[in-house]
Amino acid sequence: MSAEVTAARPAAISVRHLTHRFGAEGAASSVLAIDNLSLDVVQGEFLCLLGPSGCGKSTLLNIIGGLVIPTEGEVLVHGRPMNRPMPDRLAFVFQESTLFPWYTVSENFTIAFKYRGVARSEWRDRTTEALASVGMAEFARHYPNQLSVGMRQRVNLARGIAAGTDILLMDEPFAALDEQSRMVLGEDLSVLLARTGKTIVFVTHSLAEAVFLSDRIVLMSARPARIKEIITVDQPHPRLPEFMLEPRFSELRNRCYAALRDEIRAAMTMQGT
Amino acid sequence: MLAARAAILAVTLVAWEVAARPTGGADLIAPPSAIAQALFATVLRDGAIRSAILFTLFEVLCAYALAVAGGLVLGLAIGSTEMARRSFYPVVLLLYAIPQVVMLPLVTLVFGIGPAAKIAFGFSHGVFPVLVNVIAGMRNVNPLYVRAATAMGAQRADIIRHVMFPHMATSFFTGLRLAMTTTLLGVILAELYVSTAGVGYFTKLFAENFDPAPLFALIGILAVMAIALNELARSVERRFTHWRTASTS
Amino acid sequence: MKDSPAASRLVQLGFLTAAVTAWYVAGRFSVVPPLFLPPIDAVWSSLNGLIRTEEFWSAIGVTLSTIAKAYGIAVVLGVLAGYLVTRSRFLTAVLEPVISALFSIPITLFLPLFILVFGIGTASKVAYGAAYGFFPIALNTIAGLSRVDRRYLAAARALGISAFGTVRHVMWPAAFPVILTGLRIGFFIAFASVLGGETISSVEGVGRNIALSAELLEPARMYAWIVVVVAAALVLNGAVSAIENRMRGQ
Repeated sequence: MSAEVTAARPAAISVRHLTHRFGAEGAASSVLAIDNLSLDVVQGEFLCLLGPSGCGKSTLLNIIGGLVIPTEGEVLVHGRPMNRPMPDRLAFVFQESTLFPWYTVSENFTIAFKYRGVARSEWRDRTTEALASVGMAEFARHYPNQLSVGMRQRVNLARGIAAGTDILLMDEPFAALDEQSRMVLGEDLSVLLARTGKTIVFVTHSLAEAVFLSDRIVLMSARPARIKEIITVDQPHPRLPEFMLEPRFSELRNRCYAALRDEIRAAMTMQGT
Repeated sequence: MLAARAAILAVTLVAWEVAARPTGGADLIAPPSAIAQALFATVLRDGAIRSAILFTLFEVLCAYALAVAGGLVLGLAIGSTEMARRSFYPVVLLLYAIPQVVMLPLVTLVFGIGPAAKIAFGFSHGVFPVLVNVIAGMRNVNPLYVRAATAMGAQRADIIRHVMFPHMATSFFTGLRLAMTTTLLGVILAELYVSTAGVGYFTKLFAENFDPAPLFALIGILAVMAIALNELARSVERRFTHWRTASTS
Repeated sequence: MKDSPAASRLVQLGFLTAAVTAWYVAGRFSVVPPLFLPPIDAVWSSLNGLIRTEEFWSAIGVTLSTIAKAYGIAVVLGVLAGYLVTRSRFLTAVLEPVISALFSIPITLFLPLFILVFGIGTASKVAYGAAYGFFPIALNTIAGLSRVDRRYLAAARALGISAFGTVRHVMWPAAFPVILTGLRIGFFIAFASVLGGETISSVEGVGRNIALSAELLEPARMYAWIVVVVAAALVLNGAVSAIENRMRGQ
């Protein structure tokens, strides 16, 4: 049940020879963020980008999502090149809640629906459903400032899912949450995957989170980003907490750490990390 | 950046010149060339106008010095204890809310039409920013420091000098900069109101005679003076607060 | 901490009472020349008489309408200019310091120019008040619109919100608190500058009346007018801060 690109399971996202540089080439301040990276994301898989701080995983995610145009190389989503955000194909969930504080929770949803071309008649139901799936149904009329950080992030997550896209790009969405919330939401995400068959690309620092959630883990080097290794986690979704107690879990986790240890050290001594 | 701004200035002057010229003296907005001419031929030449300008500068500096000194002393007194602050700060804010300009005729009545009125009015405008900033600056002094100083045997005056004063220094210098602007405002308001002598007399004269070029020129000089004084205050502020990284204002 | 608005209001009230009492006493015992400080009962009766006159109300009407026009123009031009400048980052970087620098010159200096061009009537005060009030409004509009948190802008892009939609749903709401502060400051500047313009050179309005009373050596009448203005200013101030406190608590 490993996630490999085959005829039966086509690539939802193809990253081809991606190179990205900040600043002009040759300039003293120019930074090479990503170096000739190629990757395929299979449809319906949960893929993790795991690497040390500042290695470029967020940049990679932003490029995949069309928020940033790469210096070289291309990204294809379902065969179509990405040169701008496509909210009908990919939804983002960022690390900090980007709910607009001047709108209520439900208004934040309707704004997302409006610009995604969702029919007005569906707005109410889809909002309620999405909020219920993260346990926040009674907070529809609240303002984000009235919610705790954890609650806000749950709503943020719900907004990303409510969009109904095939692909979800998540940039350390649980980083601001306490460990217990992370675990619970992680389980919910796994259930979601099993139920909907969405493709999820997930950026994280946490080794345990990566092993628990992913079908494949892409281990990334320190800047400039290159793929160090890809580890497959052969475990069906939905994943249960018991998975964490299996010896296989620890093995995989240790493998990740072994591969990344030098990169983490290298990243620590790098400027601007 | 500097080039862009110089360009804007140049373009504005040229456009102004072109727009104002053709009306041949009938229009009330003089072209820059006429202004420049009036500046050197009339305004700066005339001894009376020159001394009026210098006298205004003198009034500003007097009022400013008094405002700073008065604001500092009063502010230190009010801000030094919680009791005093809670009693008097609301009063200060109340007074700050009143548009002082309505007092102008009264001030002139009391102080006469000479420099005293202008200095008084400048003072009353300038004292507030200093006062407010000093009091606010003394507000968040860590009580721990005060206690430590008292334990070491410090008297009230010592505490003010060694603990509170350094703490509020930054706010004080910001207040100094703001006070320059407001003192200028006060003095100019008073000068313009008293149109029997001084700068106010000449502005009235030029306006009544529909003589725009020298009026623009005179105001231009005063504006330059205002800018120079402001820049001075600003650089003093920067000099004494450059070590503060985060913005505190 | 008894720093509540209620406690300060109490102190202010106390101060006012003390001031009024002192005034009464000073008048009674002729401590100060009546030309500088007429007895409080003289001012009171002058005020009473004044309120019954036609000219009192028409003067107030003139001043209020002048302020309204000046402020209205300042708001429209200020917000518009602020919006237009922030459309381009280059324009913002170049123009914002210029506007800020212009504001540091007391616009009062230019009052004679306004009078020259617009005459001695209310038009010059409208123009002067509008010009003065324009600056804080424009500057705060620029500050608010150009400093919208990038994360919200990124979220808007990720959600596929159009450029116009972003302005409407993200930029304006985010900038609103800052712009509101500018509107508040602009109001009080327009208010004070119209009064100032009227006092210095005018044919009608509240400021003119104050100046005229001084010229005619009628201190009681002058004080009556001053009391009216001070009362109005305090009420306005109280109302505005009450509104602001309510909005902030939300």
